[in-house]
Amino acid sequence: MRAIKVLERVLAVIPIMFGVAIVVFLFMRLTPGDPVDIMMGGGGYVSEGEIENLRREFNLDKPLHVQLYIFLSHAIRGDLGNSYVKRAPVTELIAERLPATIELALGALIFGLVVATPIGIISAVKQYSALDRVSMAGAFLGISMPAFWLGILLMLIFSVRLRWLPVAGRIDYDAGLQTVTGLYVLDSILTGNKAALISSLRHLVLPSVSLGAAMAATVARILRSSMLEVLRQDYVMLARAKGLVEFLVVAKHALRNALIPTVTVVGLQVGVLLGGNMIVETVFGWPGLGRLVVQAIFARDFPLVQGAVMVYAFTFVTANLIVDVLYTYLNPKITL
Amino acid sequence: MFGNRKLAGLTIFLLITAMILAGCPAPTPVVIEVEKEVIVEKTVIETVVVEKEVAVEVVVTATPVVGPQKGGTLVIGLSADIATLDPADYRETTTETVLRNMFDGLVTRTSDGRVLLELAESATLVDETTWEFVLKKGVTFHNGEALTAEDVKFTFDRIISDNGIDYPEPHTSPRKGLISPLESVEIVDDYTVRLHLSAPFPVAMQMLVHQQIVPKDYFEEVGNEGFVKAPVGCGPFKFVEGSLSEQIVMERFDDYYGGADELPPVGPPPLDRVIFKILPEASTRVAALRTGEVNIIQKVPAHMIPLLATDPNVRLVSGPSTRPAWMEMNVNKPPFDDLRVRLAMNYAVDADTILETVLGGLGIVIPGSLSPYNNFADPTLEPYGYDADKALEMLAEAGWTDSDGDGFLDKEGEKFAFVVDVRPANKDRAEAVAGQLQELGIDASVRVWGDYSVLKPLMLDGERTAYVGDWGDSAFDPVGHFEAKWHSRVEGTGNGRGNFSGYSNPRVDELIEAGEVEPDVEKRHELYDEAQQIVYEAVPAVFLFLPDIVEACTVNTQKWTVAADGRLNMHDVWLSP
Repeated sequence: MRAIKVLERVLAVIPIMFGVAIVVFLFMRLTPGDPVDIMMGGGGYVSEGEIENLRREFNLDKPLHVQLYIFLSHAIRGDLGNSYVKRAPVTELIAERLPATIELALGALIFGLVVATPIGIISAVKQYSALDRVSMAGAFLGISMPAFWLGILLMLIFSVRLRWLPVAGRIDYDAGLQTVTGLYVLDSILTGNKAALISSLRHLVLPSVSLGAAMAATVARILRSSMLEVLRQDYVMLARAKGLVEFLVVAKHALRNALIPTVTVVGLQVGVLLGGNMIVETVFGWPGLGRLVVQAIFARDFPLVQGAVMVYAFTFVTANLIVDVLYTYLNPKITL
Repeated sequence: MFGNRKLAGLTIFLLITAMILAGCPAPTPVVIEVEKEVIVEKTVIETVVVEKEVAVEVVVTATPVVGPQKGGTLVIGLSADIATLDPADYRETTTETVLRNMFDGLVTRTSDGRVLLELAESATLVDETTWEFVLKKGVTFHNGEALTAEDVKFTFDRIISDNGIDYPEPHTSPRKGLISPLESVEIVDDYTVRLHLSAPFPVAMQMLVHQQIVPKDYFEEVGNEGFVKAPVGCGPFKFVEGSLSEQIVMERFDDYYGGADELPPVGPPPLDRVIFKILPEASTRVAALRTGEVNIIQKVPAHMIPLLATDPNVRLVSGPSTRPAWMEMNVNKPPFDDLRVRLAMNYAVDADTILETVLGGLGIVIPGSLSPYNNFADPTLEPYGYDADKALEMLAEAGWTDSDGDGFLDKEGEKFAFVVDVRPANKDRAEAVAGQLQELGIDASVRVWGDYSVLKPLMLDGERTAYVGDWGDSAFDPVGHFEAKWHSRVEGTGNGRGNFSGYSNPRVDELIEAGEVEPDVEKRHELYDEAQQIVYEAVPAVFLFLPDIVEACTVNTQKWTVAADGRLNMHDVWLSP
């Protein structure tokens, strides 16, 4: 039963993606700014007929519905077109950047969860203790601090002053990493390259912390409040009355139920981590998808923006689907 | 409980320590700049003399230097991505800056704009439309293939033929426009080629600087896609590995023929390896330079100059840029449809002070629309100069006085108020201009447009009032610059494509068009002088300044200079221990 429901949900992704494709196509063309004009830049001569030639090459001289038809008919076959500026297939450009973005998002996710879970639980168990107050104040700070500011602050402390960690990039050139998956940390482990592992981890720390801080704060607060609610429930009192040790009461009876709202938030945050990291990527010179998309938007590189937004949409839809499936495991009363 | 307090105390302590360690830096907004200064030259009739003159070496160094030291890895922090590794398939400067370390052309340009022979041993103008190049012998590509006339022909055929580029789909080279009069390339013998042009084209040399030679045999063997992934040139460095979004790694090409004869030292470069790393955020580039992670950085923002100036491990390097800055005023809309008001603005704004305070004095005040380093800038023009009394006087003449005593000028019951548009990169300048106007009772406010592409069409349609901006003239010629700014706008062409003031004068149009085809240098000077004079008097803009390019390097970086066209040439650079 569950399998059929999951399959239904998976199939529903197709019309969603189709809708996203059309919307992003139209939105890009409604935005003021002409890709060919931007390409010509601010300075320098434009020779006769050059603008028309480029417009023709990009099909921009055709009516909108024809352009849309060309785009969709190619997209169905998995061809998202070629970037105007980078002169390469969009799918290839995205595939090249995606691993960096995923690695950073995973780093941030791990940082966020490792920090948020104990803080959320302990703050709830020891409500109104000094630890609770400090960590909630910290969480407030974490949510309020813009990622680029935190990133630059961390960079100044740990890179410029203390010289512990590198300023930017993903790995040192001389680490000699052979890429397999494009996730450098994973590749280092797979190829048994210790130097590359250390180098890639060192590069990953600051961007992950900058990106994960807001998420850690959000998750810690949600986990705390749902833990507080659950800890007041009768079944928790019953568990205590049975004489269970407090650790088991919290870890087994309370936490599992408190996780449902937390998982929702984490699921949404995964989407945010994958899609909202252009600032952190820019600050740390991290060659991910976010930076590529920002540049593409400013250059009105239509095919590239369309492709990237579709990837983002797909990620969000998938993350939501996974969250929904997880629910059914956490609380069997919930069905898809 | 005690433990918790201790922890709380520790957290606060750590936070405070963090702040102190960081020196409480001012939050820097992340400005994602998409700046594309396209160096494009046009078919201009002008005599180019390829001077046989020895470049004057200026070795800027803190310690006495014996000579170039071999070895070392130099890392450069670039401010933007690289578009491609195919020297025929891009149209922006960062890519060219990187690729010209891997590829050489028939000719090259020095950092101060002179054209010198590079792969060519000689260049002769056979007749008005034919250039003959004799290639140097013994030049090899990175794969060992010898450079011959075949390679030159192959390179240019790819660029000038329709759909000459196959990857990712057939299209015409975006660099074709740079040599549009080139019709065909004829092989005379193994080391001699003739470039046949459709019309006289005396700026061929300036234009050919931007075309780099690729090896025919290798290219045909690996195909277009293969070449983009593993490019081979005959420049001082060979491609090792890298991705366009992260870093490009190059190593010394030991068999390098040496480059331009007039640019000693001639020979393989001293450096073992050069890495171009993409660091789009300025604070990051500065941080990376201070830690020594990179040796050279592009585009140092003005507000970070004082910080770097105090760092003993860093040296700031600056030189004139090619982007004069102005505040353009919409001449077709009140209040700037009145010549007296526009003139008053030129007296009301103190460009010297803005240059000093906002740009740290790095730059020069300009009198007109062309950079003083432009080969055709009229030297007789003088900046209007700051004169607040004169400005107020002229405004009063135009009817603008503070009649209601609210501190702001008004006319017929309307306050003198307008919005200055600006891109994030030039925000500080615009605010300084507005601040100075405020002092005179003009309510100027600044609007920062994050996305220039939204603002630009509005300005071209005459819907905005004022704009603080700049425009490049990297060819050191009015062409590419003057017609874009001051020719009446003609949709779909280069004429008036950056004309944000709506300025239109038939005589100026005429002079510009004549200047583009005039073969005689003296006559060209006359044409452009007159055009500049007219624009100077019509003041469609407040002429501000020519800012310097500011770059920085670690103190051990030797023989490194800023190039006016922004090029980063690593051939002669070396690292002292």
